[in-house]
Order: sequence, then structure tokens, then C-alpha cells
Amino acid sequence: MDRNKISKWLKGPAKMGHKYSLSAIYFCTGCGIIEVPPVITARWDAERFGVIPVASPRQANLFLITGYVSLKTLKAIIRTYEQMPDPKYVVGFGSCPINGGMYWDSYNTIKHLDKYIPVDGWIAGCMPRPEAIFIGVTHLWTLIDKDMAKGYVKYREKYESYRKNQEQILGKLEWKPLYPIRRRK
Amino acid sequence: MNKELLTEILATFKKTQGYIEKDNRLFIETKKEIVPALLKYFKDKSFDRLAMVSCVDRINENKLEIIYILTSFCLDNPLNIILKIKISRNEPELDTVIPIFENAEPYEREIHELFGVDFIGHPRLTPLFLEREYEIPPFRKDFDMRKYSEELFDSVPFVGDEK
Ligand code: SF4
Repeated sequence: MDRNKISKWLKGPAKMGHKYSLSAIYFCTGCGIIEVPPVITARWDAERFGVIPVASPRQANLFLITGYVSLKTLKAIIRTYEQMPDPKYVVGFGSCPINGGMYWDSYNTIKHLDKYIPVDGWIAGCMPRPEAIFIGVTHLWTLIDKDMAKGYVKYREKYESYRKNQEQILGKLEWKPLYPIRRRK
Repeated sequence: MNKELLTEILATFKKTQGYIEKDNRLFIETKKEIVPALLKYFKDKSFDRLAMVSCVDRINENKLEIIYILTSFCLDNPLNIILKIKISRNEPELDTVIPIFENAEPYEREIHELFGVDFIGHPRLTPLFLEREYEIPPFRKDFDMRKYSEELFDSVPFVGDEK
């Protein structure tokens, strides 16, 4: 272990643990997923960075949205996101989740992912190289260190608005709200 | 061999035009009533794989063009048979070809959803890809995608911005 980091480990062991053991849920949304197999396998080996793909959202704390998000996928994304345990981090990968990318005038792709779930970081590009994922991961470390990757807290606090946006675009959602919704008179 | 096939088709079926392009594409233009008979004919000739069913919106002619592509698994002949028909754009109706080629089901569902073509006799024309209802089927040329996406997606506020 790096000796300079001992004080950090002593101060916030949980935080350091989260930082160096990111379990990415293996969820494919768009074309960007094609970059993920080389990232997690021998060629680039994401385990050097503590990123490991897991099969179930219950075990994951990193959600890579790899590409354009259609309405049907958005539904699956919200359900997956709500099943992940706190703390959880979302990284939008590629220009499509950022602002629509080349699907900016499509009838079935949502343009801004952060209107529906909170996103902690973005990796721009169409599609980004595997190196960009690692740069993204190191940026995410910095954010976790500085307590800035607080998307899941924002989701809890602003759940009402998020749920409203989700319902505006998807119609009535068939699952119960994750957090209680206060009814305003 | 392909030329002979073409002459045979033209002799057997009336109201049919055909030509060969690039040696391995046999185009046939016909009327929609003849399609089941033609597909059955090709199936008996061992063109037993319906590769796809597709649709083109010919808005200038006010027609929808349905395209069936057939290939063969068992013949040693790399020929694609491309069957084109035009149907009216205002009342797009067509008999399903599921009794002949079962794998036409998802294609027909897709065309029904994206172009609004009614396939008579199709067992379940339920939505396949789309989550929302569209007034005009979205792949028709008169569907204004930009306006639609601006109205729908840009009206959702960013969380934290709304009043
Ligand atoms: S950003 Fe490019 S590569 Fe990624 S999903 Fe969009 S179009 Fe595909």
C-alpha cells in the first residue's frame, strides 16, 4: 500500500474501500458497450483499477451507461439503479447520454440522462476509447475523495422531481416509489 | 439458370415485372394479391429462407413499398430474390405471410408499429419496440421527428432547475 495514503485510510476507511472496489454492473444500453469487454479483460484489465463487472445490480456500485438510452432502456435503467445499494455512482459514457449525441432529433431516445437519474460523471466521445474509461475512473476517485460524487444523496433528496420527470416521459410507472413521496396540499 | 428462373416466373404469374441486377439479385415487382402465391412458389423452388421483410415510404407516389427478401439455404446459388409490392398509403392493408414463412411475424409487427401497415390475419399486432403512442407512425416521412423530440424531451426540466 502507498504509505502516503495511510492517513486517508485511517480517516475514512469506508470511503477508501468504495473508491478502490468499484463493481460495475454489466448493463449494455447502446453501442458503447463494445468498449467494455476489452476494458475488463486482459487487454486493458480494469481490475488494476479495482473495477470489476458484476452480474447483479444488488452487488454493484458503479453504473456505466454505455450509449444511447431509448425509452424502453430508460425504464430498465431506472429499475436497475433503484435496486443498487448506496453508495452508488453513475457514469454516462459517450455523447448520447450527455445531450443526445447523434440521436439528438430521434423520436425514441432521451436526450439528457441526468433529467431522470443523477449522474456523477461523464465521459465524452463517440465512442470513448478504453483509456477514457480509466481516466473517468480516476476522476471518479477524486470525486469520491472530495465527497462530490453524491448523486445517490441527490436522488433521495429530490426523488419527487426525478419521479415526476420519469412519469412525464414514461407514463405511469408500474413499480412503487423508492422513497416516500410527500403529497403537497 | 437465374435467367431461366426469371422467364419462368414471368410466364407463370401475370402482372409481374422482373429484372436481374449484379448477377445475384432478382427483382420482382408485383401486385399484393399475388404475393402469397409467389412466396409459395419460391418456397417450393427451395428458396426457403425469408431473410427479411422491409418497408419504404414512397411519399411522392402516396404509396408504401413492402419488400420481401428470399435466399436459399440448400441451393448452391447465391441468389437474393427481392419481391416488391406497393400498397396504398392511406389504407395500408396486406395479408400476412405467416402461414408460408413463420419467421415473418416480428418483421410484420415491426412494420405495423413503425409504418402503420395492417397485416390481416396476424395473430398479435402488439407494440414491439415503442413505449409511447404516436399519432403518425414514426417511420413515415411526414412524421416531424425534430418537432416531436423538441416538444417531448425538451419539455422535461432538469432536476434542480424547476420552479
Ligand atoms: S455516443 Fe456514439 S458510440 Fe456512444 S451510443 Fe452514441 S452514437 Fe453510439
